[in-house]
Amino acid sequence: MKKLLFILLVYATLSSCNTNKKENGKLNVVTTTTMITDLVKNIGKDSININGLMGSGVDPHLYKASEGDVTKLVNADVIFYNGLHLEGKLVEVFEKMGSSTKTPIALGEEIDKSTLIGSDYFASNYDPHVWFNIEYFKQFTKKVTAVLIEKDAKNAKYYKANETEYLAKLNTLQKTITAKIETLPKDKRILVTAHDAFNYFGKNYGFEVVGLQGLSTATEAGVKDVQNLANFIIEKQLKAVFVESSVPKRTIEALQKAVNAKGHDVQIGGTLYSDALGSAGTTEGTYIGMFEYNVNTIVNALK
Amino acid sequence: MNSAQIEIQLIASLVAIACAIPGTFLVLRKMAMISDAISHSILPGIVVGFFITQDLNSPLLIVLAALTGVITVVLVEYIQKTGLVKEDTAIGLVFPALFSIGVILIAKNANDVHLDVDAVLVGELALAPFDRLIVSGVDIGPKSLWIIGIILLITITLLIAFFKELKVSTFDKGLAASLGFSPAIIHYGLMTVSSVTTVGAFDAVGAILVVALMIAPAATAYLLTTNLKKMLALAMFFGIFSAISGYWLAHLLDASIAGSITTMLGLIFLAVYLFAPNKGVIAVMYREKQQRTEVSLLTFLLHLKNHNEVEERHVNHLREHINWQKVRAKTVLELALKNNMIVVNNDIVSLTKKGDTFTSKAIDYIITNKDAQIEDMKDDFFLFRG
Repeated sequence: MKKLLFILLVYATLSSCNTNKKENGKLNVVTTTTMITDLVKNIGKDSININGLMGSGVDPHLYKASEGDVTKLVNADVIFYNGLHLEGKLVEVFEKMGSSTKTPIALGEEIDKSTLIGSDYFASNYDPHVWFNIEYFKQFTKKVTAVLIEKDAKNAKYYKANETEYLAKLNTLQKTITAKIETLPKDKRILVTAHDAFNYFGKNYGFEVVGLQGLSTATEAGVKDVQNLANFIIEKQLKAVFVESSVPKRTIEALQKAVNAKGHDVQIGGTLYSDALGSAGTTEGTYIGMFEYNVNTIVNALK
Repeated sequence: MNSAQIEIQLIASLVAIACAIPGTFLVLRKMAMISDAISHSILPGIVVGFFITQDLNSPLLIVLAALTGVITVVLVEYIQKTGLVKEDTAIGLVFPALFSIGVILIAKNANDVHLDVDAVLVGELALAPFDRLIVSGVDIGPKSLWIIGIILLITITLLIAFFKELKVSTFDKGLAASLGFSPAIIHYGLMTVSSVTTVGAFDAVGAILVVALMIAPAATAYLLTTNLKKMLALAMFFGIFSAISGYWLAHLLDASIAGSITTMLGLIFLAVYLFAPNKGVIAVMYREKQQRTEVSLLTFLLHLKNHNEVEERHVNHLREHINWQKVRAKTVLELALKNNMIVVNNDIVSLTKKGDTFTSKAIDYIITNKDAQIEDMKDDFFLFRG
């Protein structure tokens, strides 16, 4: 017990000389997925401090907090997350934070539930990959702006202007994408990927979406799943299947081999960004760039 | 350092102490594997408790999990008693069976609850400070800190109350029984404490770190002392040291905290394993080298004793005759000279009186294997120790 007291004493001394400082009075915002980080950056720009927990290529289903994340969360004023149980245990933690001084905002909860795609796997019974519907992402944008204005009223005009600008960009994105997809005949719109992240994308643009692993990347694909999907690909005479940046390639490669073994040639059409954006600084590192890249990759490979 | 960082280190340190106490006895009883078994087989208990209460922090979970822990031990011993398989095989049979029951229960019924195998095994220490315990509107600290604090308090109370019984039944089961307390009760008591500690800690640090914190500090302490109280204290010290240094390793690398603590535990064990004064690898190597030299010395002295002829005792002849390499011959010669066992006159080696008695005694010992005569030589020579 003496040892314990000693430790406590050491801690007390250490902590007293090293207290938290709020950096230059800016709002500290913590975000989870790279899509949300990019969105908040577009609205808050340099008038807030943004700390994204997940980097590019990180799978939100399997995310593990590191030591650095502790400090980010401690200093957070507002936390924006996807919710709908996308972020696993983090969602649980955020839900319990309600009573503290931090404001956790589940953006996915803003969407009208009746329009969401149901799922058996997720606790909320909804497919959480909502960012592939640009209309939903616009709702995210509006919510983020509203929260930032509420927390930091003196910059209200600035946030509002950024919101208008970003919504305009999203509208343009919607148009370019629709135009691009129009060039692909309707019967060729079949998307085979590693896991079921593209249901909202498929619903909006008329694609039939088949994921090898189901909604969560935590579950593994069985041998039977691979064989069934291989038969499906041959039946539909598909030209290409796709790998995802945040999911290991090996399951899709197994699928490709299974199809090739049955005498049908199927290509890997490219890497799609599903649960995370590309590296920061690249075009695919932004939500808009990622969406355009995905659509171009899909359309060019299936044509 | 902010309050969350302090709280994480505090939780990790408390877990380390709470684990070191049962861990020390498990290592001494050669039952380290059973802690691994318990950490996995408590899963069905946790799952069933969760189904009943719908709350991962309910005390019922701890009770049920402790119960499955004890069931594990009972089953292992039952299988072992049949004499058909050994203890490690029995452990290997029991815990995967219980663990998989838990996995199936989760897969079948808990798809829509946030209880997955991954969380049970790895835990999430980084998020522990954000799950606060709020009593009538006042925040009194992280929940896991309270849970593990209470478990630690119970463990320490039990340790102090039953220290003598634990000590005797660990080292001499027969004596314990004849002194009137049942080794079986102590045994199951210890198993219950291990189970409770594992359950209390699993939500914060995960089962793997619990096993590491039970075994590694105790095993490290075991290399350094043969005194039970010292071993307990050292195990706690190594546990706390790894918890805190592991935390700062994670800080440096911006990595998983539980992973870094386990790494530190491994590194500390490795360092002690290599450099421990008596049982360490380097100490053992040195001792073996000394023993080899001493065997050579004895051969050399015997040769001198058996030959009175001057030519047989010439320095150059000895080299040829016993066929040693120069270096080795020199070491042996120096060792003998240092101990005043020989004298060298004009390159002729002769035994001194001391050397003569030493040789006779050593030969006697080797023939009769009684060590009463060589008690006084043990201090100077490794050869006659143990």
